[in-house]
Amino acid sequence: MSFKVIKSSFLSTVQDYGRLTHGEHGMSQSGVMDEHAYAWANHLLNNHFNDAVIEITFGGIVLEAQTDTFIAVTGANLDFKINNKTAQMWHGLQIYKGDVLSWANPKNGVRAYLAVKGGFATEVLFDSKSVNLREHIGAKLIKGDVLPYKDFNEVTYHFISPKYIPNYNQDITLRILPTYQFNDFSINQRDLFFNQNYTITNANDRTGCRLSGAPIAIKKERMISEGISYGCVEIATDGLPIILLKDAPSIGGYPKIGTVFSLDLAKLAQRQPNTKLRFELMSIHEAQKERRKFNDFFEISF
Amino acid sequence: MNNIVSAGENAILVYFGNEINAALPKKIGNFANQLKNTLSDVVIDVIPSYTSLHVSYDLNKINFQAFFDKVESLLDQQDSNNSILESQTTHIPVYYGLDVGLDLERLLAEKNLDLMSFIEIHTSQAYLIYAIGFSPAFAFLGEVDERIQLPRLPTPRIKIPAGSVGIAEGQTAIYPADSSGGWNIVGRTLLDLSLNNPENIHKFRVGDKVKFYSITRDEYLSNGGML
Repeated sequence: MSFKVIKSSFLSTVQDYGRLTHGEHGMSQSGVMDEHAYAWANHLLNNHFNDAVIEITFGGIVLEAQTDTFIAVTGANLDFKINNKTAQMWHGLQIYKGDVLSWANPKNGVRAYLAVKGGFATEVLFDSKSVNLREHIGAKLIKGDVLPYKDFNEVTYHFISPKYIPNYNQDITLRILPTYQFNDFSINQRDLFFNQNYTITNANDRTGCRLSGAPIAIKKERMISEGISYGCVEIATDGLPIILLKDAPSIGGYPKIGTVFSLDLAKLAQRQPNTKLRFELMSIHEAQKERRKFNDFFEISF
Repeated sequence: MNNIVSAGENAILVYFGNEINAALPKKIGNFANQLKNTLSDVVIDVIPSYTSLHVSYDLNKINFQAFFDKVESLLDQQDSNNSILESQTTHIPVYYGLDVGLDLERLLAEKNLDLMSFIEIHTSQAYLIYAIGFSPAFAFLGEVDERIQLPRLPTPRIKIPAGSVGIAEGQTAIYPADSSGGWNIVGRTLLDLSLNNPENIHKFRVGDKVKFYSITRDEYLSNGGML
């Protein structure tokens, strides 16, 4: 029961919900960049919320099914095809032995998710199947790799109503919680941060997303290193924000103005460079309420 | 007095002081341990660092205010708990040689030291583990004697071999894996800290100590050391 990689790509890796319990040992959280598309991919197949998927960045990969199974593809539209014919996304699909799955090039968004019924059965390293290239944990998929998956005994044909499928081409507003050194930034600094359109730059990967815009004047450039939360926003020495993402180091020493709400980070994961971006304050109460609703729906619990 | 701030929708940061202080790592390490034991149903992960402890929790089970209150009350009774961990000291062999210590020659010249004196200074104390981060099992050790302190390189090296021992101002550390980095490299250890052995992530713990000892080039090479 497996897929075989027929053609390598820029960056396709196995990811699950993440390596949540090893920050103490200096490890990144890792895991999928777009939790929304990921959660749907597993949900469409009645998988467990933490089942491993393939995160395909910008496309290019070609896979061949070695047995019949069910899959779901969500996230970016990377020109997903089965046997050279455009195939449905956000939909549970049956595929057959010998079927060739391809993602040729990005049309809308950045990262697509391929979930398979029962989840991919790749190696668990430090309590997670997530690959982290920076930490030399696992490797990206290359031609010849074999991706095993589990057995299953139940079929599903779930799909999502098209009105719930996100459009990844729009500019975005990220809701951000006042955390860390928020109160150390002056009113003027905060005004500048919240009242401008930033632009997503090319320096934008699984570790972090660097923004361009009008720099904030910084009084304290470096501080004592402290634990990093997924989505916290460092203001670097040049006065510009860096949003720290799934593969960010566990500790860091730049002042942080806040932490972006996780489900807005899922939207960020699908934005290409040059997209305009704004920040808007969000309360912890609101964030926890919305996230709890999401977790309940997708049965995410630890 | 401790100060607790929010660090995100499911995380808080507990500060134990404003300045780096040798008394803090042990205290923070112990509190991390206590927190994991006492609130194991809601605590997901802890990240101790120089003056703070980052704690993530399960927002499905507890909200911010309730978690904040629990942590605060635990801090109040901190001294009366019995989960204090004993400090351990790990002894680590290092070959201090110009062929592996990429910056050693420059350091000796700038500091006007001979190699024997440098080794004597670097190996004379047990260093405290202040934080673990940057990469897995990378332990920040301090405080380095002023006589051998040097700032980071202006331009980081693209590749520093695994096992390299470096100095950056008041800190010293071992690179667990091949990586880029800007520390001044003064030697190399045979000790494997890579993730090839999953147990290696447990080698260092904030609040514990590390003491280096010098081995000869022959000892280094005959035990599998690479140049």
